[in-house]
Amino acid sequence: MEYKVQVTRLADGHAEAQVQTAFAQLFRLDTDKAAKALSRLPLVIKEKLTAEQAAKYRDRLQAIGLVAEIHPMLVVAPVPSAPPPPPHEVQSATAPGLQLEPIAAPIAKEAVPEVASRPAMRSPGMAFKIEGRPDFAFLTVTIPANETLKVEASAMATMDSHMTMTTKMRGGLGRLLTGESIFVNEFTAQEAPGDIGIAPAAPGDLAHVYLNGDVIYLQNAAFVACAGDVNLETKWQGLVKGFFSGESLFLIRASGQGDLWFNSYGGIIELDLDGDYVVDTGNIVAFTEGLEYRMSKVGGYKSLFFSGEGLVCRFSGKGKVWIQTRAVEAFASWAHQFRPAKGKG
Amino acid sequence: MKSVIKGGDAFAFVEIELEKDEAVIAESDAMSSMAADLDVQARLNGGFFAAILRRFLVGETLFVNYFSNNTVGTKRLTLVQATPGSVRCLELKRETFYLQPGAFLACTEGVTVGVKFAGFVSWIAREGLFKTVVSGTGKVWYGAYGALLERDLDGETIVDTSHLVAYSPGISLKLQLAGGIFSSFFGGEGLVTRVTGKGKIVIQTRSLSGLVSWLNPKLP
Repeated sequence: MEYKVQVTRLADGHAEAQVQTAFAQLFRLDTDKAAKALSRLPLVIKEKLTAEQAAKYRDRLQAIGLVAEIHPMLVVAPVPSAPPPPPHEVQSATAPGLQLEPIAAPIAKEAVPEVASRPAMRSPGMAFKIEGRPDFAFLTVTIPANETLKVEASAMATMDSHMTMTTKMRGGLGRLLTGESIFVNEFTAQEAPGDIGIAPAAPGDLAHVYLNGDVIYLQNAAFVACAGDVNLETKWQGLVKGFFSGESLFLIRASGQGDLWFNSYGGIIELDLDGDYVVDTGNIVAFTEGLEYRMSKVGGYKSLFFSGEGLVCRFSGKGKVWIQTRAVEAFASWAHQFRPAKGKG
Repeated sequence: MKSVIKGGDAFAFVEIELEKDEAVIAESDAMSSMAADLDVQARLNGGFFAAILRRFLVGETLFVNYFSNNTVGTKRLTLVQATPGSVRCLELKRETFYLQPGAFLACTEGVTVGVKFAGFVSWIAREGLFKTVVSGTGKVWYGAYGALLERDLDGETIVDTSHLVAYSPGISLKLQLAGGIFSSFFGGEGLVTRVTGKGKIVIQTRSLSGLVSWLNPKLP
């Protein structure tokens, strides 16, 4: 079976210009050509790939913010015993069945670099893939030689053996109060590129953002990993917001340039906001800087106590917010009723 | 025999269609539904002492259930595991594979299930002092908490303790500190396993200790 990889559209949340630049770098095109190619979506990137190769192309394209699909090709396999192909299939095939040398699609002919050189390539951000979505998403990042990835404490699950780890304090002692680790581990790929597999603690999904001078606020437990150049700070939310939000008193402020990954409990939904929007406090994962938010009641005082919603977070302005489809407090209180009265804790 | 794994990564289950005279051996609490005319026999898990060994060494059940189809038609059986998580099927062709304690779910008749001393390294690495050995020819279903990812290994890699679910016999485990002394204790990684050799490893994308550390601070 052979496959082709087709770009269908831009992934949500990626600036067109940025994707074009990344696409140009990836296929070593000039920016104009890349822009032209991307203006004609859907676009077949490469044909006659094995399933594995196709998946690699798709992952690379997804990493730069393009939605790619893998389609089986209608070429009849060049096996002598195979029955003669029906006429319409021969027409749709790009090459006669016996030609084993792959014929590249026009754009890919001189453009697509060999797969073996992938790890060294510098498209914006690091190459990564996410498996096990959406229930138990698992992140694998290829760290370029001598670069560093910051990872949430105790989230590393696998890594290449030449990777070194150092532990840094993050966010000051305030985080001790929140039950989060105050440490973050830095993994460096010594001399050669290396892979690291990261498993967040909570069951749920992962999201990726490439920061280009932007600022994103993360709910305290959502941080998974970021490139070495991204700055992480812990921000005090203010007593009122923090206390009533039911989350922690702190937010993580991520800024600078590079990749950022964060996780959720449950699925993750990305919302573009323009105007007011209300999110239950337990469902906030992350939001972009520039959004105003304040705690408020859903309705009157009666609904405050009886609606089961309590206080909510009211966002206003223009930006993005990521929400999770489950809240940990709700799970904890549901699970708690089944625990033995004197559990081990 | 046809078998399909359904239910996604979170709540995977195995659906098996047994033809005439086919049989499946499953852990004693694995059956969730079955055709009413399948025959079920509880058997000691491979002899009295072997069963007791398995019960205490690798946490398998003392008894296993033997589901056989003595009718003429095709009969359905669905199997589940206790933990939320993924299930995988392993096709053995006169091969051997090692499973983490508790991962074994079911197998077909041509498969022998045994227990082997895994070594103190494996024990300290929280993969169990003993391991389940499956060998022979046939299908083996196993599962764990989290999604399961298969990796081909040729050389060495590092896996955090309690993430390794299964591995082939050509692979050996060694313990080491994750970083320096300071990092290993404060970075939350502690000890890691250096996995070397040539073969297949299967890792789980979540760990129970991760779940506990995430949930415990939130419990009332």
